[in-house]
Amino acid sequence: MNTFTIQETTEISLEVGRILLQSGATTNRVELMMRKVCGVFGYPETEAYVTPTGIFLSVADRENKVTTSIKRIDNRRIDLGKITSVSHLVGEMEKRHCRDGRCDLGAAQFLEQLHRIEEEKTYPAWLTVFSGGTTSGFFCLLFGGSWMEFVVAYAVGVLVVLSLRLLGKLQINNFLINILGAALVVSFAKLLDIVVPGIKLDNIIIGGIMLLVPGLSFVNAIRDSMSGDLVSGTARAVEALFIAIAIATGSGVMLKVWELWGF
Amino acid sequence: MRPFDYLTLLQFLWAFLSILGFSVRVNLKGPKIWLLALGGGLSWAFYLVILYFSKSLLYSIFGATLLVCAYSEVVARLIKVPVSVFVTCSIIPLVPGSSLYYGMQAYIAGNNAIASEQIYKALLISGTIAMAIAVVSSVTNIIFRLFNRF
Repeated sequence: MNTFTIQETTEISLEVGRILLQSGATTNRVELMMRKVCGVFGYPETEAYVTPTGIFLSVADRENKVTTSIKRIDNRRIDLGKITSVSHLVGEMEKRHCRDGRCDLGAAQFLEQLHRIEEEKTYPAWLTVFSGGTTSGFFCLLFGGSWMEFVVAYAVGVLVVLSLRLLGKLQINNFLINILGAALVVSFAKLLDIVVPGIKLDNIIIGGIMLLVPGLSFVNAIRDSMSGDLVSGTARAVEALFIAIAIATGSGVMLKVWELWGF
Repeated sequence: MRPFDYLTLLQFLWAFLSILGFSVRVNLKGPKIWLLALGGGLSWAFYLVILYFSKSLLYSIFGATLLVCAYSEVVARLIKVPVSVFVTCSIIPLVPGSSLYYGMQAYIAGNNAIASEQIYKALLISGTIAMAIAVVSSVTNIIFRLFNRF
C-alpha cells in the first residue's frame, strides 16, 4: 500500500489536467477530475482553477500547509478519445486502486499509465485520413450532391486531411491552419473540377468546410458558460468565432484568386 | 407519407456515415462510435421531420438540437462517455457551414444583400443551437439535483 506525498499528488493531478485540457475537455470536467485525483490520494482540501490556456492548482495537506502550482498549456489538439480514456482511468483509481488515501499502485505507475494514454495510437494514419474523406464526401451528399460530386468531395477530403497532417508538423497556430485548410479545400476542388466534367463545386466545397468547422470549441463555449466558467466560456466563444472567420477568409481569398485567374 | 419516406432515410444514412468518419478522426474507438454516428444521423433526421411539419428553419434546428442533446445526455451516461464528447459529434450536421460558404461566395461576387442574409442566418442558427444545448444541460443539472435530494 502506497501513500502519496503532496508533490506526487500535484504532479499526477496536473498531468491529468494537462492531457484533458489539451484534448479539448470542458473546464468543469477538468476541474472535477483534478479535484477527484487529489481527493483519492488523500488530499480532499483542493482548489483547481482552469482556463483554456492554463491550470492553477492548490493542494492543502493535513496541517493546512498549502502548495500551489501553475501549468501553462499550449498546442491544443482535438482528441476526444483521450478524454474518454483519462476519465476512465480516474474512475478506476477511485473505484479499484485507492482507499482512504492508500493505493495499491505507486506514483510512477500512474504516471506511466497516463503516459501510455498520451502516446497511444488508436488508429493508423491512413485510416484517419480516409475517414476525413468519408466525412466530407457524405456531407456533400447530405447537402444535395450527386454521386460524381461525392467521389470528388471524398478525394478533396482525403487530400485536405493529409496536407493538414503535414502542416501540423510545422507547429503553426490554429487560425493559420484553418485559413490554409479552407484555401486548400477550394484549390483542390477547383483543380479536380478541371479534370472531372459536369460537377457543381458548391456542395463539394461545403463538404470540405464541414471538416474544419469549430464544433468542439462552440459546444465547449456554451457548456462552460452554462456551468459558470465565464472566462473559459468567453475565450472559447471567441476562438470559435475566429476560426469561422479564418475559414471564410481562406475560402474567400482562394475563390477570388481562381476567379481572377479565369476559372 | 412524405417526411418518413426513403429520402429521409437516405439523408439519415449520409449524416450517420459522415459522423462515423468524424468520430474516427477524433480518435474515438470501440462500439461507442456507432452510437455517436446514430446521434449525428438522428439530429439531421429530426431536423428534416420537424422542418416538414413546422416549415420554420430556426424552430426545427431548436427542436432537433433539444431532442439529440437529450439523447446524448442519456446515452453518454449509460455507456460512461463524457457528455460533451457526445453532444459535439451529434450536432455537427446542424452547424451552418453552408451558410458561411454561401455568404462568403456572395461577398466575393459583390452581392451584399445575399451575403448579409446568409451570414445573419449562420449567426441565428449558431445562436439557436447554443440556446438549445444550454437549455438541455441546465435542465439535466436540475433533474440530477432533485434526484439527489430525494
